[in-house]
Order: sequence, then C-alpha cells, then structure tokens
Amino acid sequence: MARILIVDNCEIIRNLLTDFLEELGHTVETAIHGQDGIDKALNNEYDAVFCDIHMPKKNGYQVYVEVSGKKAALPFIMTDSLPDDLANMAVSRGAHTCLSKPFTLEQVRTALSEIFIKDTADESR
Amino acid sequence: MNLRKLLNNLTLRAKFIIPISILLAASVTTISSYLLDRQADGFRKELEASGETRIRMLAHSAESGVIFENIYELEDILNTLAQFEDVQFASISDVENSILTEFGTEPAGLVVDHRFHSYDRDTDKCNDFYGNDINDEEFLEFNYPIETRKEEIGRENLGLTAGLEGGQYTTETVGHLRLILQLDKVQEAISDSMITATVITIVVVILTILGLAWFVGVITKPIKSLVEVTDQVSRGDFSKRAELKQQDEIGHLASTFNRMVDSLEQSRDEIEEYNRNLEQKIIERTLELEEIQQQLVQSEKLSAIGQLAAGVAHELNNPLGGILGYSQFTLEKLKKFKERENAPKDIDKFIRYLTDIETQARRCKTIVQNLLRFSRSSRTTDFEDVDINQVVEDTRTFVEHQLHMNNIELEVNLSESLPVIHGNGGQLQQVLTNLIINAMHASPADSIINVFTRYSPPLGEFSGAIEIIVADQGTGISPENLNKIFEPFFTTKMVGKGTGLGLSVSYGIIKDHGGEVKVDSVEGEGSTFVVVLPVKKESSESDTEDSSEIANRQEK
Repeated sequence: MARILIVDNCEIIRNLLTDFLEELGHTVETAIHGQDGIDKALNNEYDAVFCDIHMPKKNGYQVYVEVSGKKAALPFIMTDSLPDDLANMAVSRGAHTCLSKPFTLEQVRTALSEIFIKDTADESR
Repeated sequence: MNLRKLLNNLTLRAKFIIPISILLAASVTTISSYLLDRQADGFRKELEASGETRIRMLAHSAESGVIFENIYELEDILNTLAQFEDVQFASISDVENSILTEFGTEPAGLVVDHRFHSYDRDTDKCNDFYGNDINDEEFLEFNYPIETRKEEIGRENLGLTAGLEGGQYTTETVGHLRLILQLDKVQEAISDSMITATVITIVVVILTILGLAWFVGVITKPIKSLVEVTDQVSRGDFSKRAELKQQDEIGHLASTFNRMVDSLEQSRDEIEEYNRNLEQKIIERTLELEEIQQQLVQSEKLSAIGQLAAGVAHELNNPLGGILGYSQFTLEKLKKFKERENAPKDIDKFIRYLTDIETQARRCKTIVQNLLRFSRSSRTTDFEDVDINQVVEDTRTFVEHQLHMNNIELEVNLSESLPVIHGNGGQLQQVLTNLIINAMHASPADSIINVFTRYSPPLGEFSGAIEIIVADQGTGISPENLNKIFEPFFTTKMVGKGTGLGLSVSYGIIKDHGGEVKVDSVEGEGSTFVVVLPVKKESSESDTEDSSEIANRQEK
C-alpha cells in the first residue's frame, strides 16, 4: 500500500490518522511541527501527506509551498481546525483538498481514494 | 438753570398750560389796564369839557347881574346848576373877589392855587385843576372871569358884545366865577370798568386754561397711550399695540412704533424658536451620540466575543476531531466484530454507546462551526452575485409550511429595483430563515409577519444599500435584552428549543458581508429586524497575501 506522512502538532489527530490509515493498510510516519514535516517530506519518499495548517515553526501553507516546490507530484491533504484563507490558498496552488476538523473517517477515505484513483489512472496512462 | 430743570420735570400738559396761562394773564392785564387808563383819561377830558362849557355859559349869563349887582338874577343863574348831579359848589364874586352869591357847599380844605387857574386870554383856555379836600375826595375846580366889552371908537350899545369886523373894543373883568365839580361819578365809572375788566380777564384766563387743558389733553392722550405701550414693550411684553386711528404725526409715530414692535416681536420669536430648535438638536445629537456609542460598545463586545469564540473553536476542533474520529473508527471495528460468531453479547450496547458519542460529537461540531461563523473568520471566497429578492423567495418556500402550521401569515413585498450584491446566497438565506423563525416563535396565532426589501441608492460618499426588513407583531424584546440578543448562547427560548447561536451566527454572516443588523422592538407590540447589505462596486480582492504575514500565521 502507500507511504503516508502526517504533519500535525496535535497528538490525538496524529494518533487517529495513524491508527486509521494503518488499519487501511498504509505505512504511516508522523512529524510534530511544520519544519519537522518539511525535513521528513524532502528526505523520504511518500505517496501522500496529511498536513495541518496551524502549527509551530512553519505553518501548513509554508510546508506545502516548500515541499511542493521540490516534489510537485506529492499529493497534499490539508487539515484545518479554523476556517482560514491559508488552506484555501494551498488548495488553489495545487493541494488536493482541505478537510475541516473535526473531519469524519468517510471524508478521509474519500480524499485518499480520490488521490489513489488519480494515481492509478496516471500510472495506467 | 433751575427754572429750566423745573420746566423739564413738568408734564407735557403743565408745560403747555402754565406758561401760556401766565403769558395770557399778563397780556390781558396789560391791555385792560391800558384801556382803563385811556377810559379814565376820556372821562376826565369829558368832564373838563362839560365843566368848561357850563362855566363859559354861566359867565356869559352872569355879566349883567354882576355889573348891576343884581343878586337875585345871579342866584337864579346859579340855581340852574341844580340840574347837574356833579356840581359840588359854585360862586360868583365881584372884581375884588367879594362873593356875591354861591351855590352848594365848598369842600373844606381844598388846596387851590389861583395863580394858575385864571382864564388865559391868549389861548381862550379855561384852566382847571384837580384837588383833594380833607376827606381826600377829589374835585375839579374851574375859575373863569366875568367880562364885559367896551366900545372904544364909537358909542356902542353896552349889550352889543359881539365883535364887529374892524370894530375896536376892550374887555374889562367885572367879576369871577368859580365852579367845583365832584369826581365821584367818574371814579365810580372807572372802578366799575376796572371790576368788569378784572372779571373779564379772570374769566378769559380760566376759560383759556380749561380750553388749553382740553386741547392739550387731545394732543397728549394718544402720546400717553403710546407711552403706556412703550412701557410695556420695554418690559418685554409685546402683546399690546398703540391703537391710534388719527392720521397726524402722532398717528404716524404710533403706526411706525407698532411696526417696530411687530418686527421686534418677530425677531424675538425667531430667536426663541431658534433656541428651542437648538435645544432640540442638542438633545437629538446627544441621543444619536449615545446610540452610536452603544453600538460601538456593542460591536466591540461582539467582536471580542467573536475572537474568544474563534480561539475556543480552534482549541475544541482538535479534541473533537479525536472524539469523532475514534468513535467512528471504533464503531466500524465493532460492527465488523458483531458479524463474527464469537462476538461478545454486549456488543450491541457498545455500538449504541459509541453511536451516541458520535452523534453528540457531530452536534458539537455544528455548534463550533456556528461559533466560527459568528467570529467572522468564515471563508469569504465563495461569494458571488446574489439576487436578494430570490433569496427572500427561496426562504419563503422553505419556511411557509412551518408558518402555516402555526397559523401565521407571511406577507412579502419585494422592491423591483434591487441591484445584485456580492455575497453568499446560502448564508443570507440562513440569516433570513433564522429571523423569520425567531419572529414566528415570538408571534401569536393569526398574526402577520411582514418581510420586505428596499434599496437606498448611493448618495454622495455613501454607497447604496439593500435593506431586508422582517417585522412581526409578537411579544417584542425587553430593553435589557435588546443589547444581548446577538451574543452567542443568549436565548429566551425554552431549554432545548434554541441554542442561542442563531442571531449571533446571523450577525457574523452579515458582518462578513460588510453589513449590519439593526433591531427595533417595543414589548407587547412586536420587533422589526433590518438587515442592511452594502452594494459595493466590484473591487478585485487580491488572492495573494504578503508572505511575511503568512509566515506570522502559525501556531505558537
């Protein structure tokens, strides 16, 4: 299955996503703030990134801009605990979607399936 | 100087009457005394003339009597004087001054200077003189010579006394005649005249004073009434006018004065009116200022509450995400377990517990989302052109059934000339629904809720605005609650009937649209909510934000 990076300063969200994604059969790694997320995303290979917006050190938008500058193909799913234009801006620059917290598991599943169907479609082309 | 001062202090009437009366009395007295003098002179001259005539005649008659010393004849002559009342005394004497006969009584002690009272032949004048006796009574005395003429050339008849032309004769004095007249009658006449003159003078002066008084009264009466009105006006009483119908200078003065009072009164009224207006304006402005201050305080308070709510929502969303996610996650797992044969007996219970947790977590999610909308930090990117009338129509379809069930009628009046606005139609419909449902909850059965739209076109620096008005005939909002209705979680509804977020969410949505919500309410009569939405000209909102600002927006 896929390798997924979760970037969130909130432990419960990291745990939830890890448990859920592992249950779905993915390999999960976590970063605890923006800079940590950038380092991990640039130094390792992932198939998708869950990235929170409001984080210490670097916010989610900065993480997305920095990482996607080098790895344009890496899909980003933004998560957001407060309606904010930063998430919209990331989406408008190419992030796959933004999930507003508290999100449901269906939303996560849908977002992932959209990415991977797209991926398989790209591969099959 | 003192006289002038005295005159100045006199009333107008006295100023007229006193000097004129004095002048008049003086002139009448002068004239009458002059006339009296003339009259007295006349009397005397008359007396002198009549005395002289009489004595000449007597002297003539007595000529022969004296010559022949015929006393009887002389007595008869003198007795003819008895017919004259004014004869006091008469005597005839011979040339040696021996009295031959006399008539009447000689006044005692009458001073007579005979030297000056003999007949003056050159002037043929009989001298008379006035004298007083010892009783101080005045008499007039005449002396006249009794003469006879003698022919010098031819022998002439002694009785021929008339001078012949060219004839020569000499005159010889043969005796003297003396006549004394009383002046009583003259004095009486003079004093009678004096009394008459005095009486006439007094009557004339009195009549003049009365006439003047009346005449001056005619002149001063209008002045007096003018003075009274002037006095009142000077004390600030403009109610009276000088009522003078005359056409003279005083009438003219009065009408001019009346016009002056008119314009004074008008000016005073204008000033008072201006003062009243000013006070009214000050009161109005003060009220306006107070209202604006209240609005400021209110919006500051709501903005602070909004920031607080945003912070709380942000902090709640992460744990809520955990709760919602894990309950769903566990629920999915339990449902899979349930399909196994060796599933625990209580698994249905656990599923129900977790379903409850998930449901409540979803409810919490809704509340937090509403809080966030109120905090104005909702996304504005999905704004588009919105037809407000369409929003009202959509809302009407949405709530009509519910209103019908409550026997409440909805009357909608839409302005035909509404421009489109830039906004979120769904959110605006949510606001309108909220306002109408609130109105419904406050309204009694069989009442009407009025919804109408109107447009205020741009005026000067103010851009145009659309107003949506929702008016009900319900219970109204108490003044102490009026400031709290937009605060989150404030509700007057029964527990469970409302979250207290409806109006605060509406408030947030309208703030997002750059508008405002105004409310006017009278307890027992109903409430009117006015949603004001500005009609802005299309301004291109920049999507790109300053990178330094973006960098600042991270969690500390």
